[in-house]
Amino acid sequence: MVLFNYLKSTILSKVVMAVTGVLLVLFLFGHMLGNLQVFIGSEAYNSYSQFLQSLGEILWLIRIVLFIALVLHIITSIRLKLLNRCANPTRYEVKNYVKATLTARTMIWTGIMIFCFLAFHLAQFTLRITDDESKNMKDMNDKNYSMFLKDPRGSVEINKDKYFYAEGIKIMKERHDTYKMVVKGFRNPLISLLYVVAMVILVFHLNHAIQSAFQTLGLNHPNYWPCIQRSSFWVSLLIGIGFCLVPLSIMLGFVGAGV
Amino acid sequence: MKIKLIVWRQNSPTDKGRFETYNCDEVSPDMSFLEMLDILNEKLILQGQEPIAFDHDCREGICGACSCTINGVPHGPEKATTTCQLHMRKFKDGDSIYVEPFRAKAFPVIRDLIVDRGAYDRIIAAGGFVSVNTGGAQDANALPISKHYADLAMDAAACIGCGACAAACPNGAAMLFTAAKISQLAFLPQGQPERKKRAIAMIKQMEEEGFGACTNYYECEAACPKEISVRFIAKMNREYMMARMFSE
Repeated sequence: MVLFNYLKSTILSKVVMAVTGVLLVLFLFGHMLGNLQVFIGSEAYNSYSQFLQSLGEILWLIRIVLFIALVLHIITSIRLKLLNRCANPTRYEVKNYVKATLTARTMIWTGIMIFCFLAFHLAQFTLRITDDESKNMKDMNDKNYSMFLKDPRGSVEINKDKYFYAEGIKIMKERHDTYKMVVKGFRNPLISLLYVVAMVILVFHLNHAIQSAFQTLGLNHPNYWPCIQRSSFWVSLLIGIGFCLVPLSIMLGFVGAGV
Repeated sequence: MKIKLIVWRQNSPTDKGRFETYNCDEVSPDMSFLEMLDILNEKLILQGQEPIAFDHDCREGICGACSCTINGVPHGPEKATTTCQLHMRKFKDGDSIYVEPFRAKAFPVIRDLIVDRGAYDRIIAAGGFVSVNTGGAQDANALPISKHYADLAMDAAACIGCGACAAACPNGAAMLFTAAKISQLAFLPQGQPERKKRAIAMIKQMEEEGFGACTNYYECEAACPKEISVRFIAKMNREYMMARMFSE
């Protein structure tokens, strides 16, 4: 296929790794910021979740772009790994690494572990097939509903069954209770532990990945290179901590005590 | 000094190869690593054994002929130093030292510690030169080059093509060598006419030789006796992308 012609070139393969990697990191950052709304409360969290669902075609566009990025990232990494194994078949009896970090040398393995985690994560919170209860968690959009009844900005049209309309925008009266699903999910210590471990692995992966993407795309200049190398560590740590805060605070009872 | 050497011995390219241990009892700290091998070889010859075959030429760190991976690092533990300029004072009395040939698929072993680095020559032959006819020598100031770019070109041109970068790379990649050779000409006006053609041709040859891809381990930079920076690999990536996108 013409689309996969780039695989013939080692440098273009690396460029594809970098570009798809950057897209995935940007998504992770947005995802983390979205998650942190769990600290504002169930109302804000469920509204955010409902907002994402209401995006419709745009949501699917984002999903398709991320899916293609992920597939290309995986295919290219496997092909590069096989090529590199082939280019260095005889190992040294003694090998002393000088600059190659542990994170750099374990990229393929941390990548595989993150992929396995991703499959579980999607099954749990997106497809909701790991737990029967999570499928039917409904949150009555009562607060918004009564707020709109009290202060009807624009025209309010009330449909008794499922929706109400505010300023002509259709709002679900009943929506999925994402907040409850997340809190109940993370109350299970094993699930929380799995997520924290997965995030540690993600930090390992990103620590090498972020600066590596800049180098591959040719963005290495003495003026800003030390800054990129330091940021690579701090940004990956920030993303990891941001994601871990949610399961940890639920386990410790700071969040979701009322559920 | 007493040194225990564990050396890779391989009779021919098809031989399986094995490690052999030699005890060197009277090693002077002032000897270079190759001088120590010379003395060991003379001893082996007197005992009627085959001497250890190794590459060497200038022995002053400028030709790039000597190789050897010493204790898992090409050219040994000392930073920015070739094997011939590595002295035994860098080791401790009683040390065990593993000596292996440069390993990469594109560097087949010929005998013992000697590998065939012809792949690098073929990468140069693919375009690492300026083929524009220059005519008679022109006036020295007719072609202005700023100090900044002259320095950068010289930093890249410091590469002696020894092969340590590919030997150090866990992927057996020759990116640092190819990057240095592409960059040294890309910085200079003489290199401009064939700039895009050169980048594409040399990288194509590098891939055909069976070298791996770069995963930014930066082991090449650490092993390079001439301290070529991985910045040049970033430059090569830019050169290649521009050439692929905009060449006529």
